[in-house]
Amino acid sequence: MRILIVEDDLEAAEAMARGLTEAGHDCVRAADGEEGLAAARDAEFDVMVVDRMMPKMNGVQLVESLRREGDRTPVLFLSALGEVSDRVDGLQAGGDDYLVKPYAFPELIARIEALNRRRDTGSVQTLLKVGELEMDLIARTVHRQGKEIDLQPREFQLLEFMMRHAGQSVTRTMLLEKVWHYHFDPQTNVIDVHISRLRSKIDKGFDRPMLQTVRGAGYRLDA
Amino acid sequence: MAVKLPRIFRTTPFRLTLLFLALFASAASAFLAYIYVATAGETTRRTDREIQREMRSLVDVYNRAGLNAVNQSLIERAASEKPFLYLLLTKDGRRISGSIEESPVENFTGAPAKATFQVTDVDAEGRELKHPARGLQERLSGGEILFVGADAGEDEAYVNRIVRALQAAGLLVVLLGLAGGVLVSRNVSRTMMSLIEVVERVRNGEQGVRARVRGARDEFDELAQGVNDMLDRLERSMQGHKHAGDAIAHDLRSPLTRLRARLEAAYIDVEAGKGDPEEALAQAVSDTDGVLKTFGAVLSIARLQAAGEAPNPVLFDPAELAADMSELYEPVCEDKGIDFSAELTRELTVRGNKEFLAQALANILDNAVKYTPEGGAIMLRVRRRSSGEVEYSVTDTGAGVPDEDRQRVIQRFVRLENSRNEPGAGLGLSLVAAVAEAHGGRLELSEGPGKVGEMGPGLRVAFVLPRA
Repeated sequence: MRILIVEDDLEAAEAMARGLTEAGHDCVRAADGEEGLAAARDAEFDVMVVDRMMPKMNGVQLVESLRREGDRTPVLFLSALGEVSDRVDGLQAGGDDYLVKPYAFPELIARIEALNRRRDTGSVQTLLKVGELEMDLIARTVHRQGKEIDLQPREFQLLEFMMRHAGQSVTRTMLLEKVWHYHFDPQTNVIDVHISRLRSKIDKGFDRPMLQTVRGAGYRLDA
Repeated sequence: MAVKLPRIFRTTPFRLTLLFLALFASAASAFLAYIYVATAGETTRRTDREIQREMRSLVDVYNRAGLNAVNQSLIERAASEKPFLYLLLTKDGRRISGSIEESPVENFTGAPAKATFQVTDVDAEGRELKHPARGLQERLSGGEILFVGADAGEDEAYVNRIVRALQAAGLLVVLLGLAGGVLVSRNVSRTMMSLIEVVERVRNGEQGVRARVRGARDEFDELAQGVNDMLDRLERSMQGHKHAGDAIAHDLRSPLTRLRARLEAAYIDVEAGKGDPEEALAQAVSDTDGVLKTFGAVLSIARLQAAGEAPNPVLFDPAELAADMSELYEPVCEDKGIDFSAELTRELTVRGNKEFLAQALANILDNAVKYTPEGGAIMLRVRRRSSGEVEYSVTDTGAGVPDEDRQRVIQRFVRLENSRNEPGAGLGLSLVAAVAEAHGGRLELSEGPGKVGEMGPGLRVAFVLPRA
């Protein structure tokens, strides 16, 4: 994946680029908003990671300019501002996701990869398929190896999200945000318990587990 | 270099007064000019009418009785008290008789001609006085020329008196206006100056300075009150920020110190070949995550306390939020062998920031799950109190919190002795309290359902929100 990193904190950008390159991505770096805008106009990227507060042109202005020009590249905002209103501002400006600094690196990678996948699913899908797992979004049924699996509504949503991001790590906060639509930090393992219930339904009695725990990051659904 | 005027002349009220004075003076001038034209014009016209009448009466005498009769009449009239001047001339302009020596009309063509001229008089003390006069000259039917004039001095003096009166009045208007302007300006200016002084002192960093509200309930009082309210708010906010800053420094110092100590110990161990570097690093990362969580909580508390109110509040059904939370926490409870139940009164309305309220409720539930042993129970309730307030409550059957410690656990980082080995930064309930406060509500801790065998007495945490 080609990733543009627009971040004025050079050390942070360097660390991010190193991590992303190790994960197999191509990174281009820009040190301020203007440079970022020029780079984004210059070449195609799969995802842009944009710091909100930068000299010359801030992240929100940068993304607004790009969106006005018709550039739809997915954008992940990074910000030290974590209030609800800041997040809403960022998303309204045309950002696709918002990550508050300081963040854990697996969280960053998970969110970047989630953004890239979204671009592929341009058409409205009614059937999701990951390996032997099939989800019918209209009938709201799930089958594995042709056997119907009975899921609670929330479990269905959880699995749908995991299937849409199959092969990628998703973090607990991402799940709380995208499935429950709450942005907070639970102290107990609430999400883990939901995942383990889902796991017992889709993996129990089958030869091979699909829902994996990724150490230090979260979970991944493998085909 | 510009001349520096005294302050009073530079004030806005004074300038406004000058402007109004100028407007008023123009209006007064126009008014006075009209009076002048009306009065002075009228006296001139009256004089002209009288001269005309006299002329007609003399022409009448001439037409009826001839030149001699006119001459005779002139002599009589001149001797009488009539205020007219006469002159009778032959066809070629030689004087026949009259009360003046020569005609003031020059280049007489024969057509009736008007003239203005001056007559010289001598007053009682022998001084020569010149009066303005007006006259009319006509040719009689026999060819002789007759001039009738009148002393306009009396009228002119009257007009002059009016003009002088008007001038005096004008001057008076200007002086009174200026004096009034100065007076009003000084009054207004004094009020403004006190406000400006307050602003200046605040700008120089003084605190607790307030503008004087005079009690006149006018716009100056409103402004002063507004300035005071603004200063109150600013000072509160500044104190909030200062307090928040102190608190952040305090709250983060201990976990960072702990982290540093642990890293140092790991470093020494690894150097001595005793510890496992990988494990030490993993421990450091997890410790750092803890610090970051604490940091997030501290920042939220600080922001809520500094703002004094919840950001972006919306109206919503409290039962919906509680239902989401039950759905989220029920599996954890089940896993731990805790009986979870919810009793939600529907169709209530609260006003607040959903994110913060969700976080608050999650913190309360986290605590309940953490401190309730297997076989215990947790109940989440939403109800309306008789006061109209909306209450979220979480009751558990854990060990509870002794009476004397209940206020203390809301304070930052207070963790009771027997919970030392549980994870958690100890900020949970203080964030909840901050959220409640920011919503105009409060947090109440009381004893739970009481002792049941080994368990209890439990804790009941009520999060009370004011009526929407």
